[in-house]
Amino acid sequence: MSKNRELLSKIGLRQDGRRADELRRIRCKLGVFTEPDGSAYLEQGLTKVLAAVYGPHQVRGSRSKAQHDSAVVNCQFSMAVFSTGERKKRPRGDRKSTEISIHLRQALTAAIKVELYPWTQIDVYVEVLHADGGIYPACVNAATLALIDAGIPLKEYVCACTASLANNDVPLLDVSHQEEIIGGPTLTVAALPMSGKIVLMEMSQRFHVDHLQKVLDKALQGCKDIKSILDEAVKSHIQDVGSSTGWASTT
Amino acid sequence: MALCEAEKTFVLHGVEENFRVDGREREDYRPIELETNIVSHAFGSARLRLANTDVLVAVKIEVDVPYPERPKEGKLEFFVDCSANATPDFEGRGGEDLAIEISNSLSAAYKSPEVFDLTKLCILKGHKCWKIFVDILLLECGGNLYDAVSIAVKAALWDTRIPLVKSVTVDGNNVDMEVSDELHDCQKLDVTAAPIMVTVCKIGEQCIVDPNVAEELCSVGAVVIAVSKDKFSTVLQIGSGSLHPQTLLECLQMGEKVAQRLSEALTETLSEINPNKNQDVGFLK
Amino acid sequence: MPVDHKRINGPEISIPYQLFDKLNTKSLKTQFSEIVQPNGTRADGRTSTEHRKIFLKTGVVSQAKGSAYIELDQTKVIVSVFDPREIPNKTDYSSKGEIYCEFKFAPFSCHKRRLHQQDAEEQQFSAIMKQALESAVFRHEFPNFQVDIYAMVLHNDGAALSAAITAAGVALAHAGIPMYDLITSVTLAVQGNHLLVDPTLEEERLCQVPLFKEEENNHGIVVLSVLATHEQISQFYQSGYLSYACLSSGIEMLTNAAKDIVTLVKKCLVKHVIKSVRIVED
Repeated sequence: MSKNRELLSKIGLRQDGRRADELRRIRCKLGVFTEPDGSAYLEQGLTKVLAAVYGPHQVRGSRSKAQHDSAVVNCQFSMAVFSTGERKKRPRGDRKSTEISIHLRQALTAAIKVELYPWTQIDVYVEVLHADGGIYPACVNAATLALIDAGIPLKEYVCACTASLANNDVPLLDVSHQEEIIGGPTLTVAALPMSGKIVLMEMSQRFHVDHLQKVLDKALQGCKDIKSILDEAVKSHIQDVGSSTGWASTT
Repeated sequence: MALCEAEKTFVLHGVEENFRVDGREREDYRPIELETNIVSHAFGSARLRLANTDVLVAVKIEVDVPYPERPKEGKLEFFVDCSANATPDFEGRGGEDLAIEISNSLSAAYKSPEVFDLTKLCILKGHKCWKIFVDILLLECGGNLYDAVSIAVKAALWDTRIPLVKSVTVDGNNVDMEVSDELHDCQKLDVTAAPIMVTVCKIGEQCIVDPNVAEELCSVGAVVIAVSKDKFSTVLQIGSGSLHPQTLLECLQMGEKVAQRLSEALTETLSEINPNKNQDVGFLK
Repeated sequence: MPVDHKRINGPEISIPYQLFDKLNTKSLKTQFSEIVQPNGTRADGRTSTEHRKIFLKTGVVSQAKGSAYIELDQTKVIVSVFDPREIPNKTDYSSKGEIYCEFKFAPFSCHKRRLHQQDAEEQQFSAIMKQALESAVFRHEFPNFQVDIYAMVLHNDGAALSAAITAAGVALAHAGIPMYDLITSVTLAVQGNHLLVDPTLEEERLCQVPLFKEEENNHGIVVLSVLATHEQISQFYQSGYLSYACLSSGIEMLTNAAKDIVTLVKKCLVKHVIKSVRIVED
């Protein structure tokens, strides 16, 4: 039994058969809904997330929230009650979802060119349909795609990724739910991969500070990989949209 | 969405001419897409897209103790969540009123034993029963929510598989049960009588079904009619208008007729679904 | 669900003792046949189309702008209506006024103790009540404002929702809120081919499940509110399992029954006017 619970086997394979530096399969689609200004659906392994963006629009609710020099970014994270193995009581409003909402806002504000839209508000709503580890990174990645679909100017892609450490030595990329349960530290990083800036970093459990650099490097590498996957998706989406208007065929 | 008087008149005239804004006749539905078995954490699920209305329904099953006043029955509970993805108005607790209205109408429609037999969910009288949670997630609102939700719920319940109970042992007050290990050992629910809701909307002098958002704004009143087999399981008036008794009766007749057609179409579609073929496309389509 | 810690909420799970009552061993079918004779005569001597005796009084809550108290034999409901006030937490302009309804069973009103917080049934009844009253009130007369209506059921012996809607109509009139028409509401319980106007709690309970086989499996509850002068149905709610024929005859029966109440409502309001005129004269 204990053998089965290893994060990384002797031959270098993980629980789900991945190698240490392998991401889970990412599939995504932009523009899944018509009502929001931008929307995206993203699957990272089994984790499934929907994101919708509304705005920039006039600030709703109390006018005092509006800022004269930047847009207000408003995020709401919510999990479908059936997204986890055991049914959840409430889709949102608990401590964990509030925390993720705040972290999401932090990461997205860093990437959006908020100074272009003073006195306005941008709403980002993410809905988790299936939770299988790495919820926060999946939300950030889906939200980036939705923002791009909405045509909101970004400094660059904002991507997030998790990394762990197996056998006190080998860094693991993109932690799944199974690996989260087995234990082992989890480092979550949200970064602007092109400039290499880190916008959010969160860590649970401990490992020696000497390992931090290599785990962090691994996570950043993951962010870069995700960025290229997202970029590919955006390009093919633009091509799809473009070809319907006829301009793509000219190139 | 806001409409000016001229736009409202345009919609109204279209309804009068039996040629609506999107080219439909008064008793026509918009295209419906239905997928089942798309949430792997659930015992049964369905996603329905009715033009721009998008609904995801997942069914979860837990073991519970029956109500003392009805020891021979299982439990069925509906929970609606209005996702903020649909409209920013649903942020926080904004969608709660609508959610409660829809879930209450569903519970009312499924209440009668003729519609849905809860006694089949009983495992041991007075001690153990299945509790079915039907969780409905509204992802996009493009009008006609009740109809979309009711069809999706029926499809999700059709898709639901209840684990088979191998044995139940009673030891004093402790009740132990053993569930079959075989993955495919399960029973399906009987949903032949599960109600289909039809919203009949009154615009001007005429009644229409499946209103889109613009038509909903023009209507003076609407009646949600839940039809199970050939009988009415729930009728609910919505909106702030009032109706003449004769209009109400006309609405009921129309609702029943349309619901029969819809129900037939649904049964046919569901029978076409092949469980072995992996048709899972979900949102990536 | 948030729990109010300042109140003593009682144990979470409790079972009403009536379940263990010896009378409860009878089958529902026998219980029904004991209550309703084959010819439609009911336990309290009424015919199936007969409404219970109604007592109606205005001005029972002095703090409220308008109030009414209604008794349908045992069923007792008190309704109060408060002055229009600005709609809370709303920033954009609404051209029509809002109606806010809160329907509540008093903790002691039913067999089982009710909690202080609204449960799903009460929320549903609130929504139905709001729906019924919205079409009776001149909402454009008070844009951006909301009228609060609170209905408290003191004793539930069936048809509580209907009683609350009728009383709310009277209370609104008493509060001087402009209305198109007086609103009256009646409940119908159906079991097989028995259609019982204004059912008691016992009759309502026995109409939840089908007791007769096959062709006669109609059963259910219908609530209907009428604006009598305009011949309009302002609210309609049905649950159960009913055929079209049964439902249409039920609607006709209810509309007539609701119209019959209007005279009584009018009389009650006239009485109130005479009383207030006398006070001014003195």
